[in-house]
Amino acid sequence: MKKSALAVLILAATALLAEGQQVKPENQIKYRKAAYQLMNFNFGSLEAMATDKKPFNKDDAVRNAEFVALLATVPKGFFGEGTDKDTKAKPEIWTHRSDFDAKMEKMTSEAAKVPAAVHSGDMAAFKKQVADLGAACKACHDEYRAK
Amino acid sequence: MSSSPDRIRVWDLPTRIFHWALVVLVVFSFTTGKVGGGWMDWHLKSGYAILTLLVFRLAWGILGSRTARFTHFLRGPRAAVAYARATFAGQHPSTIGHNPLGGWMVAFMLALLLAQAASGLFADDEIATQGPLADKVSNALVAKMSSFHYYNGWTIVAAVSLHVIAVATFQWGLKVDLLRPMVNGWKTVLPGVRPPEPARAATWLAAVFLAVAAGLVYALVVVYPRG
Repeated sequence: MKKSALAVLILAATALLAEGQQVKPENQIKYRKAAYQLMNFNFGSLEAMATDKKPFNKDDAVRNAEFVALLATVPKGFFGEGTDKDTKAKPEIWTHRSDFDAKMEKMTSEAAKVPAAVHSGDMAAFKKQVADLGAACKACHDEYRAK
Repeated sequence: MSSSPDRIRVWDLPTRIFHWALVVLVVFSFTTGKVGGGWMDWHLKSGYAILTLLVFRLAWGILGSRTARFTHFLRGPRAAVAYARATFAGQHPSTIGHNPLGGWMVAFMLALLLAQAASGLFADDEIATQGPLADKVSNALVAKMSSFHYYNGWTIVAAVSLHVIAVATFQWGLKVDLLRPMVNGWKTVLPGVRPPEPARAATWLAAVFLAVAAGLVYALVVVYPRG
């Protein structure tokens, strides 16, 4: 399955960070954008199912949800110093770091709950979790993402 | 009561319903857009409803009742300046329908709202929500539309605030009752200066325009994106 390969890649990338290996700023931006873009794709699919824009398909939803939960953990490692060029990330991220980190943490924790909400088969719980994650994404975009 | 000489019917029912429905929907759209999350679905639906109302209003502005017509309330700059001068000089010339300044404000707000609804169709919040036509155009255009949609939202807040302040100034500062006519349609005029009743278009015609507007918007946001 492709997902496990991606998981290995992500783990490897975060492991590198943990070991103190520096990813150059340009690539940090590249990786976090890639993670956000794939989150956008998968979360968009979940949102469409949650709002009845497309029929709910459990296999797709599970796959989307697991991707979202895993990908959500990627960006936080790639907002190092000097990664504020050629990006919509606002400089306030680095001047309000603790608030940014708290919002990032909120987003990853909401994303982590999505797979369980899908598995539960409870549509109300699924819809609520999709809405909660969307709100967590937005909270950060409102403050720290250029319009 | 309708034959009473000191009251005149200035706003027809369709125009009044349009106005107050727009008030509710604009406030709702702004709020849901700012709250986001699970409300985005409603934000889009509210936008479609506003677009429907605007399409209706354009038709009503051409073929509707006299006071609702653009040709009635869009006056030249000279008339607007003269009206502003007279008003600031302490006179407040009584007008039937929009005054020459207010008419331009109405056109300006309609244009802003139309631009807002149209840009929303192509917008993408890059979280989970995109306008129904975002997939039909390039991402460069989607980014421009999304950015415009954000900033234009605040322009609308400013314009609506100005509108409310202006109406409040007339209402309580200059003692010109604008609110009641927009609610019940009737304007009180001084006895003896009763101007001719402005012509009114049939309400069923407004219903037809509204239905056609709804059909057009449905085709644009539901049927066309599927194809």
